[in-house]
Amino acid sequence: MNPMAEITATLADAGTYARDLKKRTNGRTVGYVCSYTPEELILAAGAHPLRLLGTQQAIHRADAHLQTYCCSLVRGILEEALSGNMDFLDGMVFPHTCDSIQRLSDIWRLNIPFGFHADVVLPVKLTTASARDYMADVLRKFRGDLEKSLSVTITDEALREAIDLTNSIRAALRRLYELRAANPGRISGSDIHRIVRASMIMDRRRFLALLEEFLAEASGKDAPAAAKPPHRLILSGGVCNAPDVYGMIADAGGAVVWDDLCTGGRAFEEPIPAGGDPIERMADRLVKRAVCPAKHGGLTNRADHLVSLVKEKDARGIIFLLLKFCDPHAFDYPYLKAALDREDVPSLLMEVEDPLPPEGQLRTRIEAFLEML
Amino acid sequence: MLTAGIDVGSISTKAVLLEDGRFVRGRVAFTGYNAEAAGRRIFEEILQESGLTEDAVGGIIATGYGRKSVSFAGRAVTEILCHAAGARYLDAEIRSVVDIGGQDSKAIVLDADGRVKTFAMNDKCAAGTGRFLEVMARALEVDLDLFGALSLQAENPARISSLCTVFAESEVISLIARGEKRENIIAGIHESIGSRVSAMARRLGMVPPVMMTGGVAKNAGVVQALGKALDLPLRVSPQAQLTGAIGAAFLAARPE
Repeated sequence: MNPMAEITATLADAGTYARDLKKRTNGRTVGYVCSYTPEELILAAGAHPLRLLGTQQAIHRADAHLQTYCCSLVRGILEEALSGNMDFLDGMVFPHTCDSIQRLSDIWRLNIPFGFHADVVLPVKLTTASARDYMADVLRKFRGDLEKSLSVTITDEALREAIDLTNSIRAALRRLYELRAANPGRISGSDIHRIVRASMIMDRRRFLALLEEFLAEASGKDAPAAAKPPHRLILSGGVCNAPDVYGMIADAGGAVVWDDLCTGGRAFEEPIPAGGDPIERMADRLVKRAVCPAKHGGLTNRADHLVSLVKEKDARGIIFLLLKFCDPHAFDYPYLKAALDREDVPSLLMEVEDPLPPEGQLRTRIEAFLEML
Repeated sequence: MLTAGIDVGSISTKAVLLEDGRFVRGRVAFTGYNAEAAGRRIFEEILQESGLTEDAVGGIIATGYGRKSVSFAGRAVTEILCHAAGARYLDAEIRSVVDIGGQDSKAIVLDADGRVKTFAMNDKCAAGTGRFLEVMARALEVDLDLFGALSLQAENPARISSLCTVFAESEVISLIARGEKRENIIAGIHESIGSRVSAMARRLGMVPPVMMTGGVAKNAGVVQALGKALDLPLRVSPQAQLTGAIGAAFLAARPE
């Protein structure tokens, strides 16, 4: 099987993949919900970190516990748990980010009988020296919680190894993104999206090997000559679990060349620095990485990041891909849009849900945006 | 040169012929189940009516939700671009367009040269669209064409608070049960459309002069309610329903 085929097969039913992986390795699996989760500690505890990204099934059990104005990601994650699909999990980790994730944590604790439950109460403001120290303390507490829940000892050595592994994955993902940015015809947006999702679901060593193989193949390949060079675009938003959007963008004559997504750039862009105490190094990365709107990294930090991405990647426009009812992103949008307007960067706002709303309307919006460019 | 614009909307299909940019003829028909057949049929009809054959037409652009199914068109262009071009064709001063069609509504802002600067479209919900009005007309047993005139006679528009077509219908039914006058209910329906569509347009920032386009612009009550909600006078062309098709025919004269 070639690397892309193995990744696609895994993602077709991530729950079954993770269940089988656990059985095969006689290991333990810890679920998590957000890219702020310190995966390295889970890996160093000898467990498999599994990011939950919603559900493919119709949601009805979760709606009995949640308000109707709750995003499809949170509803989907709860649905998967309530339906028993996730009952192989040994535990679940909730980092402190948006309100809905915090309350999901409570609903999970009260309603889901399997596995341990851990909150990682990260600081919100990340720009001060005390926040950085607090971050390190939070990581130490999570280390202790994991050790107790899984009855293991997390050694510094294991943690260093885990950091090396996740840093290698981050570096490989960055190479993948750079390869595409240099020539968007070479790798499709849908493939990139699958690869990024797989990086949070598959056995990490297996994933890294597949990605390296994919990169070796892709960098040797000549890009097909395009009749008309596509419009270079950047995606910005939260969790993107809607690969169909990439196909729609490509059909309309656009190509995504970079992103600012939780399932994308924000998850891999900043490496964990080398040298010193592993916990301190992890804290350094977490306060330094591109923030999501549930964190504070300075008043204009996210706008500056987007504007510099546009310039650096030579993009023509930005598509905001926001999950419906995601209020942190919705509250950030007006100021981001204003900052882009000031720089004459055209942008399009698309609110989506998983599953996607009727295709016709999304296509019309994407096509009209590309006509406008 | 003769050019054609075919606008296959969710409820009605429109065709327009232009000759060297001059309006020759327009036509409106129901779309029905088969969008492709609807586009083909209206094109044949408008040619026949004009005593022309297909080879006389130098360029054809299809637009509207069914634009991809019009196989005889030279290319498909979104209704955003076509409504913008059509509005400028009808009135060269226009800087913003609000279009309310059968199943969606959109707001478009143009730059001084008529290029699309930004736009917004409603979500999957049908509230605030032509379909919404059709549902209400059925509930009230009033011909939709009379809605505009009736609502202008309202003394005290009813409050229709709901944003959802299904819920709004049940609100209207309770108003009917309470014996509320038809005129007031209809005016209330128009105000609810006005407030919903104006919220989308305000978010974009309307630049005057603003034109309202699309089939719903034929309803004077909606035009008045929307203008009030936007605090802006709305310009409406007698060709409002044909705007998208006019824009398509106009763009068909230009190289891609």
